[in-house]
Amino acid sequence: MSESANPPGAATQPTEAAAERASLDRKTRKAFQVLILQRGRNPGVKGWEMRRYLGKDYKKILEVLSNDLKPLGLEVHQVPGPEGTDDSTRFLLRFRDPPTLAEAETAGFRIDDLAVLAATIALVNSKQGRISRKELESFLKGKFPRWRIDYSVDRYIKRGYIDQDDKDLIRIGWRTRAEIDERSLMTLILAQGTQSKTTSGKQ
Amino acid sequence: MPAVATEDRGRDKKLEDILRLIELCRNVQSSSVNPFEVDIREKLLVLKRHLPEWNVIDVMLKDSEAMQQLVAIVKLQDQYIKHRASALYIDPLLLELKITLISKEELAESFAKCWHPIAQLDQLTPRGLEKAFVYWRELVPFSERFKDQFGNYGEPTGTIGLEELESLSIFTKEEFEARLTAISEELVDKSDGKEIDYRGFIKGKDPEETALRGYLIAFVVTEGKATLRTDPLTEQIFISVMQGKPDDETKSVAIVVR
Repeated sequence: MSESANPPGAATQPTEAAAERASLDRKTRKAFQVLILQRGRNPGVKGWEMRRYLGKDYKKILEVLSNDLKPLGLEVHQVPGPEGTDDSTRFLLRFRDPPTLAEAETAGFRIDDLAVLAATIALVNSKQGRISRKELESFLKGKFPRWRIDYSVDRYIKRGYIDQDDKDLIRIGWRTRAEIDERSLMTLILAQGTQSKTTSGKQ
Repeated sequence: MPAVATEDRGRDKKLEDILRLIELCRNVQSSSVNPFEVDIREKLLVLKRHLPEWNVIDVMLKDSEAMQQLVAIVKLQDQYIKHRASALYIDPLLLELKITLISKEELAESFAKCWHPIAQLDQLTPRGLEKAFVYWRELVPFSERFKDQFGNYGEPTGTIGLEELESLSIFTKEEFEARLTAISEELVDKSDGKEIDYRGFIKGKDPEETALRGYLIAFVVTEGKATLRTDPLTEQIFISVMQGKPDDETKSVAIVVR
């Protein structure tokens, strides 16, 4: 009786919705697999590759994936490419919340290493995005031992956090753009001294 | 003639202006100096003033290079303004002061608070596994890998003595004694009881012979049959025959074969 009461084609609607849902799930799974596996030398997948794997609506699928990954503490992050186009944009998975200092240390980063990187990024950003390596080393020398500066700067160039060109100019690397909230870093560094003073003043 | 010389000097001065301008632009590009330190208008006027006087192609090329460098500086000025207008701009002096004042721990803590590490998985693919297998299969054993280039390096380096040389028939004791006697007699003849130049005496027809003569003379001196003296002012080395019977005590001497 109830079947005869429904208009013709109503039975096919839930089936279509289920198929659409299944397709979305399949594409989300595919997007996760594509993002988690490192393919080339650098992590992440470019926009044009994503389009090839997921179709032209890849951005919507990545949004869904990013929401699905929230409970796991991950997110899909996009880094604009040098051309500023969708195709050159790099998509990657990253931690939604920053790790603690102790967690960073267990990942193989010493406090001194992180301090060198923080100072370098802040200094490069304050100098219009470029500084000569000599000038950088001369500044860091006041705070860190010489061998630590050489070792850390070379290591961060290799890992993509900073770039060095043929004129020995240091610039911000693609990895910093992907992993670090630069504006927050600058603000936090500027706030550090005042925070300590405020805390000590209250005590 | 003086008028021509003055004209040449004037041209050199103008060329120097262009070269100085190129150098200035390069310095600004390779450092974090404010690009607005270069007065583009003034520099363009200098180039414009000198341009009609150039008639040599090399100088014209320098002029166009200077123009290109000025364009690069204008581009930097554009970036500078954009950066200052962006949210990332903070007075560099203030920031440097802050970094100097706060501790390493505070710096690291600031970094960790705004760090979102990338999550990725290094996965061994079937293709990678195949490449590794082929590499391992074709890898020559370590003991034979560099044999062609360096020979058999399994034996450690060591020293070889006179006895061993004799056993290998490379050098006989008789031959060595005969050469030693010959060079001693030659020294007696040439010196004639006076000091003679050591380097001149050991000099042979080729470097190998010079080295051999120096080696033999070291034995002669060690046996006490001759003595060496170095002039401290000229650093010239003299050799002379020892008068009288040599004493039993042997001594060690450093020889020069250059």
